[in-house]
Amino acid sequence: MANIVLEGVTKVYGQDILAVDNIDLEIREGEFMVLLGPSGCGKSTTLRMIAGLEEVTSGTLRISDEVVNDVDPADRDLAVVFQNYALYPHMTVERNLAFGLKLRKTPQEVIDRRIRDTTAMLGIDSLLDRRPSELSGGQQQRVALGRALVRDPEAFLLDEPLSNLDAKLRAAMRTELIKIHRMLGKTVVHVTHDQVEAMTMGERICIMREGRIIQVGPPLEVYRHPADSFVAGFLASPPMNLLKARLSGHHGVDEVDLSAVNLPIPRHRQAPLRRHAGSEVVVGIRPEDVHTQEPSDGTHHRVDITVVAVEVLGPEVILVADLGGGQEISVRQGATFHAVAGARIPLYIDLEQLHFFEVDSGLAVLHGGASGPVRPELGSYLKEGGP
Amino acid sequence: MSVATADGLTLAGRDRRFGLLLTAPGLLSLLIVITFPLFFTLFTSVHDYTLLTPNYDTFVGLENYEEALDEEYLPGSLWVTTKFVLASIVIEFIIGFAVALSLHATRRFGSIYYLILLAPLLINPVVVGLLWRMLLHSELGIINYAIGLVGISPVSWLGDADIAFWTVVLTDIWHQVSFMAILLVAGLAALPREPYEAARMDGASTISCFIHITLPLMRPVIAVAILLRMIFAIKTFDIVFIMTKGGPGTATDLISYYIYRAAFFGLDIGRASAMAAGLLVIIVALTAYLYRYMNSLK
Repeated sequence: MANIVLEGVTKVYGQDILAVDNIDLEIREGEFMVLLGPSGCGKSTTLRMIAGLEEVTSGTLRISDEVVNDVDPADRDLAVVFQNYALYPHMTVERNLAFGLKLRKTPQEVIDRRIRDTTAMLGIDSLLDRRPSELSGGQQQRVALGRALVRDPEAFLLDEPLSNLDAKLRAAMRTELIKIHRMLGKTVVHVTHDQVEAMTMGERICIMREGRIIQVGPPLEVYRHPADSFVAGFLASPPMNLLKARLSGHHGVDEVDLSAVNLPIPRHRQAPLRRHAGSEVVVGIRPEDVHTQEPSDGTHHRVDITVVAVEVLGPEVILVADLGGGQEISVRQGATFHAVAGARIPLYIDLEQLHFFEVDSGLAVLHGGASGPVRPELGSYLKEGGP
Repeated sequence: MSVATADGLTLAGRDRRFGLLLTAPGLLSLLIVITFPLFFTLFTSVHDYTLLTPNYDTFVGLENYEEALDEEYLPGSLWVTTKFVLASIVIEFIIGFAVALSLHATRRFGSIYYLILLAPLLINPVVVGLLWRMLLHSELGIINYAIGLVGISPVSWLGDADIAFWTVVLTDIWHQVSFMAILLVAGLAALPREPYEAARMDGASTISCFIHITLPLMRPVIAVAILLRMIFAIKTFDIVFIMTKGGPGTATDLISYYIYRAAFFGLDIGRASAMAAGLLVIIVALTAYLYRYMNSLK
């Protein structure tokens, strides 16, 4: 088993294309780490540097406490599962699985045993004589995974392995990957742009944007305490509603002005906002923190909205509501909710759950719920990923 | 159900008629310049055709074919052709693959290399023959002059029976190797990148990548390149005509030149046509194989 440590790792392509910008990250032994971000954020490049398929421009990369910047990929004892599987098209499944082991001069009986065990585990033991072109996408995916597993490496690097599968298969493979990880206990680095994958699979998520790491932490931690408005707007579907607003009122922090509606800020939440009194902020409201019936806890504020659209998803309904002043929010409702576009209905927004972000930097000022203000030490806490 | 239009034709029928109209001029000229000579050759090959009285053709059945097979020098010419085809293709393949691999790995000035590589291919084969005949001239050629500078005595490139064969082979390679290289480099460019990365993670060296991935994946391209070159090589005529006229002796007497001599020096048109028909059968068989092989890859 291996831990993987990146210190100030930077990747520059050609003269000046900065793909990864001075990142620090520790992936612990046996951990399932997800690198999450939109395309072009540098997550795949980071994975490929760990694999050794890309050179590290500057910084230090350690695997099992050994600097591996100049170590050949073959000698890093890692296995990669590629997005498009990268199977050897002219070899049968069996030869695909055996290729790496044969190159490492593994005895034939060991190869046979490992292939038997792995293919049985993945349910592909009946496919050994087929070629990749004779397999379905899901089967190819399993073979690619099997090729990594038979090698029994120190760590697994998965580069968007599920993105070419259909939704149903993807969900099944998610569960399977989690099971395999639990069974083997090996370090896994999983790259994805799919936040559902990240939330469901990762023990920790590392969110990247434009070559930098924005936040590292366990999924719920990152969900509840997004370090900035980018993370807030990236996680979950629909993501947090981010609205332009201005702090106002007698002390400059009593109310938040959303142009058409004003939301009062509970007195005990005002202190962290004082620094931004009277100025513009971004207010974040999770779709689940808005209700159509008034809850009894007295922390909700009523606003009257116009229904823009109702998206029926089956188990739930997403209501898109116009707050006036050009601001729309998405609201998550139960399956039985019904409204007609254009209707005026009241909504109840949970004032305790409002998030506040700076306008320019996007950094979080105040999180919703019991977590309260973002303290400076919390910033590093978030980066380190919690206890 | 198809619906008839005003002129009584279905839409598909009108499309077909329009298509026929468009292709008619091309088909017609093909008919005149290819199909007619082809069938005239086949016609001639079963007649006693003499140039003295071209109209008094007597049908002789397969007599011309029997005569051709009985000829004393035909096996020799076939053997020379086989040697020529094998030698030029094997060497062209090795050089072509090496060039293709290096071109494939080239990052800068790729287009300049392509241009240099393609230059010989753009030259007319007659010009290639003339060019090399002059360069290799035993007294006046620059090559003998150059090797003379380092003390090697002049070589009779086209006069010595053993050397002349290889001179013709090498001239053909100089002319045609880029065809092989270009086909192979196109094949290399179309190879997927991912298996190589997977192989690197699996611990494969450059050489085992080449043996276990490049060669097997390139198999269809290699087969097509070799078959195409084989078909062209069997028909080689121009450089022999210009450089050696089949000589010295019969050292470079390729089958196409042999047939040419039978027709235009021996003036035995019927027999030459019979041999040409035989050659046609061989080339058609190779082409059919190539076609079937390419279809089997789909």
